[in-house]
Amino acid sequence: MEMLGLSLALFGAALAAALAGIGSAIGIGVAGGAAAGVMTEDPNKFGSCLILQALPGTQGIYGLLIAFFVLNKIGLLGGAGAYALTWNQGLQIFASCLPIGLVGWYSAIWQGRTSAASIQMISKKPEAMGKAIILPAMVETYAVLALLTSILMLMGVQVG
Amino acid sequence: MGVAKLKKAELYYHKSVHEQIAAALQETGACQIISTTEENQTHPAEVEALISKNEEMLADVRYLNRTLTPHYVDPVPALDRMLGERPEVTMSELEELASTTDLKAVCDKTRNVEHDTADVRLKLSEARLNVSILSSLGFFEYPLSVITEGTQTLTGLVGTIKAEKIEGLKAALGDFSLFAHDTELIIAPYDVKNKTQDVYVALLYARSVEASVKELCAKNGVSFVEIPATFKETPAEELEKYTASITDLEAKESDLAEKLAAIAQECVPTVQKLSDYYNSLATRYNGTAQSEETDCAMLTRFWLPASRADEIRAKIEAISPEIDLTLADPEPGEEPPSLLNNGSLIRPFNILTELYSSPTYRGIDPTPLLAPFFWVFFGMCLGDAGYALVVFGTILYVFKKYKKISLGVKDFIKLFLFCSVSTFIYGVISGSFFGNFIDSFVPILVPLKNSLMLVDPMTNPMQVLGISLLLGVIHLMFGLLIAAYDKLRSGQFIDAIGNDISWFLLIVGLCLLGTGMGGMLPPHFVQIGQAMAGIGAVIIFLYAGKGKKGIISKIISGFLALYGSTSYLGDILSYSRLLALGFGSAVIGMVINLLGGLAADIPYVGWLIAIVVIIGGHIFSIAINILGSFVHPLRLQYVEFFGKFYSGGGEAFTPLTLSQEYVNVKA
Repeated sequence: MEMLGLSLALFGAALAAALAGIGSAIGIGVAGGAAAGVMTEDPNKFGSCLILQALPGTQGIYGLLIAFFVLNKIGLLGGAGAYALTWNQGLQIFASCLPIGLVGWYSAIWQGRTSAASIQMISKKPEAMGKAIILPAMVETYAVLALLTSILMLMGVQVG
Repeated sequence: MGVAKLKKAELYYHKSVHEQIAAALQETGACQIISTTEENQTHPAEVEALISKNEEMLADVRYLNRTLTPHYVDPVPALDRMLGERPEVTMSELEELASTTDLKAVCDKTRNVEHDTADVRLKLSEARLNVSILSSLGFFEYPLSVITEGTQTLTGLVGTIKAEKIEGLKAALGDFSLFAHDTELIIAPYDVKNKTQDVYVALLYARSVEASVKELCAKNGVSFVEIPATFKETPAEELEKYTASITDLEAKESDLAEKLAAIAQECVPTVQKLSDYYNSLATRYNGTAQSEETDCAMLTRFWLPASRADEIRAKIEAISPEIDLTLADPEPGEEPPSLLNNGSLIRPFNILTELYSSPTYRGIDPTPLLAPFFWVFFGMCLGDAGYALVVFGTILYVFKKYKKISLGVKDFIKLFLFCSVSTFIYGVISGSFFGNFIDSFVPILVPLKNSLMLVDPMTNPMQVLGISLLLGVIHLMFGLLIAAYDKLRSGQFIDAIGNDISWFLLIVGLCLLGTGMGGMLPPHFVQIGQAMAGIGAVIIFLYAGKGKKGIISKIISGFLALYGSTSYLGDILSYSRLLALGFGSAVIGMVINLLGGLAADIPYVGWLIAIVVIIGGHIFSIAINILGSFVHPLRLQYVEFFGKFYSGGGEAFTPLTLSQEYVNVKA
């Protein structure tokens, strides 16, 4: 049982990176489909389509960021080896990973859908690029807030 | 600063000079033609004639552009083209080029090659089909003319049959032969174990019994295969013939492709120049087509910036003495287009306003108001001195290498140049240089870094969160004050106080109250805060009930309005993204340095891997973080800031200009 704390912390890090990464992959996939459709008509839109497609990708990065944060915090990245965590500390770290894992997962999918719609929009109105970028960014707000929550929670957890 | 003053011009001139007038208006690049408002108005015939002649040339140019461009290899990289590495020509050089170029001949040449290519491809697909049929007829050793033509008494057929039915067919044919006539059944080699495969069979028989043989075959499960009438020799000979012709046709096809590529290489630069030329003419003529006419005079109306009125007047009046140009200020009911007129420090931010929506002519230009906030916010989000240096250096290099960057692109790049300065400043005061590069790899500099640090998001994030939210409150309150100013300007005192000043008092009051009670401000600020918030809330309560009848509905709408303060809470918390994104770039940088450090421990090649990881990682991090640092501060402008006072809705000033899609055209 003495490893339960460490396992819980790792489980949290895995969820943060995996769930947010899954969401980003789906979101980018959805937006990419729309982008490919638009580019069959007008290959010159590659630049703007790529930017819009990349927008739902940030959740995956936020997830990765939190995962690294956790690994760093529990000492797995240094040469010295992991700290001994109580199961309570492990659970606290696990809880800290949930906001970015869950919100990153879901918000990336919906951001991808909004991106896809925005890509459709610029295919008809290229001059509306500014608005097309802002609409998906509205969704991302909640991923940013979740990231912030996860970071603040993690910083508060005392280990070592 | 702000929206430029425009004048409305009415220009009367003789029809004989309409071409020069159109050219002059386009050359200035500062005249927006006002369309004739009446529907079904006929355009001056002289201009119509020019338009239709020009349209013919444009059709040729478009055809050539579409057909040849995919085969054209541009010697100049696309990025260089975008940054202005393009031929510079004048309109008169283009006119000369247009008169000496025989576009029709090029079109004919291209069409011939295209036509021949289509022809060859058709033959090729036919030959490939024949080869696929012939390769399954290898078992048949007689000339195929026996089947396609037959002799005087003999003919035949080819078909396929399921392997399991072959015995049945043989038996049936045997019975048939007993009675009357000989038939010869030839069966392609097949695998006897596979019962369901399709096997090719050929059958030869007397012409006189054709009908009964076919009926018998159909009954026994043979599906007939159509043999093209052109097959005469044995399948082997035919196959050889068609294989040879495929090689031949493929050679022809690649010849034609080379020919097309040669034409493209030779003509595309000219075609691109002419495309800009004829498109420029099209814009020009479509401009003056919006004129009213008498028998020998024309009247064109247009907007022009007041600042350039004298220069443009001189240019136009030099064309002919029979010209009358009157300039007038826009009338109250008129809605002129809006042209943003900002100094060189603010101008790069124009694009942020334009991406949203241009202001109305009499509205407020939000660009100078948002510029400082965007600058600070971008700096906080990217927030890394090392990244700032990379961006700054890259942009300086681009400006040094490319001298002919078009104004729009240059302004957009300058936006990032400016913002790299704020990024550098925030990077220094938050101690971020390529993430934690200094702590990880050059410990010697740590004291220097620490001495410059004013905030430390890593160990004291609440401090930066507080700064972010405070900036948010300042941003929002500034927006409210602008809204109040805008209303006061048009005399709506009550609305300014009820809608904007009241909220300003309430929010600022609550902030003073909160910070005062938290001990961050001297205690008497608590009383000031209480007073401000109280007055604000009362005004909001009363203002909301203004239009309502009855005391009950007044009270309800008052409370509903106060409930709207939750939206301000949301707005303010939204600025926490400044902390989060700054954190994001710092931590991604940290992760990259960490990975680099781990890689460095690998024996022998570790240092090499570490360098690749660190350089590649930071380039990736810069790219992804610039995108975030652009989008999120922009959102704060558009949603939180503009939401308080700005809705755009104006029409952007779009003067007649020369088309510059491929080349830099000078007047």
